[in-house]
Amino acid sequence: MGLTLNHFLILGAILFCIGLYGAISKRNAIAVLMGIEIMLNAVNVTMIGFSFFNHVKPYSTYLTGQIFAIFIITVAAAEAAVALAMIIAIYRKRETVDVGEIDIMKW
Amino acid sequence: MVIAMALYQYAWAVLLAPLLSFVVIVFGTRVWDLLSRPHIAATTTHAEEHAVEAHGSEGEDYGEHGEDDDDDPKVPRLSAGAIASGYVAIGIMALACIYSWIMLLTSVFNRQSLPAGGIDVLHYDWFVQPGGVASYSIIFHLDTLALAMMVVVTTVSLLVYFYSQGYMEDSAGYARFFAYLTLFTFSMLVIVFAENFLVIFVGWELVGLSSYLLIGFWINKRAKPAELRPSPSSAALQAFVANRVGDVGFIIGIMILFANTGTFSFAQLSTAVTHIDKNLLTVAMILVFCGAIGKSAQVPLHVWLPSAMEGPTPVSALIHAATMVAAGVYMIARTFPLYVAAGPAAFGTVAWVGAITALFAATVALVQSDFKRVLAYSTISQLGYMFVGLGVAGSEYGPGLGMFHLFTHAFFKALLFLGAGSVLHSLHHATHREVQDMRLMGGLGPKMPITAITWLIATLSISGFPFFAGFFSKDTIINLTAERSDWGLYIITLGTAGLTAFYMLRAYILAFGGKGGSFGGLWGGPYRGEGQPHESPITITLPLILLAIPSVIAGYWFGFFDYIQPGAPVLNLSTILSDAKTWIGVVVALAGLAVAYTLYCRVDAAKLHAFVQNNALLRATHNFLYHAYYINELYDLLIRYVVLGISHIEQAFDTYVVDGIVNGVARLALLLGRDGRYVETGRVQSYMIGFFGGVAVLAVLVFALVTFGVGK
Repeated sequence: MGLTLNHFLILGAILFCIGLYGAISKRNAIAVLMGIEIMLNAVNVTMIGFSFFNHVKPYSTYLTGQIFAIFIITVAAAEAAVALAMIIAIYRKRETVDVGEIDIMKW
Repeated sequence: MVIAMALYQYAWAVLLAPLLSFVVIVFGTRVWDLLSRPHIAATTTHAEEHAVEAHGSEGEDYGEHGEDDDDDPKVPRLSAGAIASGYVAIGIMALACIYSWIMLLTSVFNRQSLPAGGIDVLHYDWFVQPGGVASYSIIFHLDTLALAMMVVVTTVSLLVYFYSQGYMEDSAGYARFFAYLTLFTFSMLVIVFAENFLVIFVGWELVGLSSYLLIGFWINKRAKPAELRPSPSSAALQAFVANRVGDVGFIIGIMILFANTGTFSFAQLSTAVTHIDKNLLTVAMILVFCGAIGKSAQVPLHVWLPSAMEGPTPVSALIHAATMVAAGVYMIARTFPLYVAAGPAAFGTVAWVGAITALFAATVALVQSDFKRVLAYSTISQLGYMFVGLGVAGSEYGPGLGMFHLFTHAFFKALLFLGAGSVLHSLHHATHREVQDMRLMGGLGPKMPITAITWLIATLSISGFPFFAGFFSKDTIINLTAERSDWGLYIITLGTAGLTAFYMLRAYILAFGGKGGSFGGLWGGPYRGEGQPHESPITITLPLILLAIPSVIAGYWFGFFDYIQPGAPVLNLSTILSDAKTWIGVVVALAGLAVAYTLYCRVDAAKLHAFVQNNALLRATHNFLYHAYYINELYDLLIRYVVLGISHIEQAFDTYVVDGIVNGVARLALLLGRDGRYVETGRVQSYMIGFFGGVAVLAVLVFALVTFGVGK
């Protein structure tokens, strides 16, 4: 019994839920960021899975899913850099990285 | 033959002639008139414009007239632009008048030259619904009926324009007056030329507008409650509103006809109406008649016409006696085949409304002391006769009967009004006040002989004195009611003829004669006013003389019925004179004249006055009639308590329900915004919960639908 698409999808779903939980429940902004990264990678896993297990011609010869995954990795790296910079900026201004206290967008 | 056809084909020139004058005056000579007034620059706003008029050409008050005079702004002399306005209007109208007379005479003496159904002089399909379901066309049509009416309109217009030169000689609004007059003539000709309800309705509203503008011409003039006279501006409004009431019925009637046949055209309707349910057609035609009730001042919408006398007298002659008020009669004559096709109730309504109006107005006219108001009620009464004529004629006589009285009446009633205007003009110059009360006249015969003689001719004509125009047209109507064995109508119309003779001679004696004058009091006598009145200038007396001619001879057009509707009976002098009913009518008319002569030439006015005042019954009757059955007061109460009461209820509905809903929606949005903003916590994580929670709910929903729902 080898790997099937379902394994990839279940792994992606589990990873996504873990990431979502982390992003919603953590107070620390860096932990929230880590949750978001996990969610992005969960999506990558799903993409790769779909790409790999596609046997319908001519789509199976395309590498759309894998290229998408590379894009997401690139964007995630950029996003992590920007987000960390923002966290540092907020920390300098408010001396906290608790997302519960960062509510400058409220009504 | 070909020449004659070309003659008729260019009849639209008559229609467009007054429009041309209007444009020239409004954009040319009137601007010239305004620009030629120094001190005040040409102005644009309405208020300032009248300020210019009030100040006159020298920019100073022209204070010759008395303090209690009307507020009609005067100028010492007219500017060249103003005089040119008059010349433009008169010159163009003279050409149109001559042209229409040529067409009339050609068609009378060469009956074959004009096709029986008439010809379209202008046809423009404005909008044709695909599939030929309905078409909306502007069609101007010329036939014998239109020609007869056109001659009346252009002739009276021309004479009134000419007359206005003298009557309005010192009015600051001279150019504006002529602009309104030409606009009116154009509007009236639109009605005359109309071939369908669409065009006639446009003309109908246009004459309403011109009438409104002309009644309210002296916008600054105040009301005179002591003489029961409203201000011109409110009189204009009353005329407009009363006409709207009638027009509601008119337009509903048109809509019923159009909805059931898909055409507005009179010619097409006259064949198409046979397919309509007869009761529905009868209702539609009675509704159309409502329009005529409003425009022709029939009971119960007659109240505006006596008030309309506040307009300048030439206007009263042209619009409120000869032409516009006859538009209702003309419209019924136009739609005559439709009334024939409808049930007898349609013609019955026309005849009975006319008869009741004729009697009502004649009784009111008996006691009026205002010179013009007698004539106003007389007009209402005579219009009633025309409707009786249309109502009893049937298909045998056609619309000729009512139209014949319209034709003769237009001339002698215009003459009566213009003569009255001549008297008022003369008294205005003599007393420097506006005098319309006949109790302040008397004995004017020798002082203004031309006016008096022409007025006497018109009086005899309207009274049905033998061999004058009114004798033929009115007695034919009265006799026909008897021939149709409609005895109720016969007695009413016959009695009204006697009353007519009485009040017309009474007015003549009060103004021009009196006890102590020559010819037993018919000529001259004591003058009860101030100053020295004398005959009016030639511009005023010439139209009187010219109108006196048709006031006598118009009745001798014995082939009129046949001209209007081929095959209708031709009148014959010996038949008329050998008919006993004719002589009954003559005796009644002579009796009316005799009573008037006895009461006003033989009895002392003071004695007569005392006699009426001392008899309670007579006094009450006099007051009742003098106030025109208190109908105006009744309408006042009706509007004040019923109409305004309903309006207050509607206003409350608007304030509390309609506004309540609108404001409630706004308040709801406000509340939602104020209390709902706390959803925006500013914490990203709470947004995420909402976002992903929503996605989860949607996912479950889609899953459920795909698994159990409509997809399966």
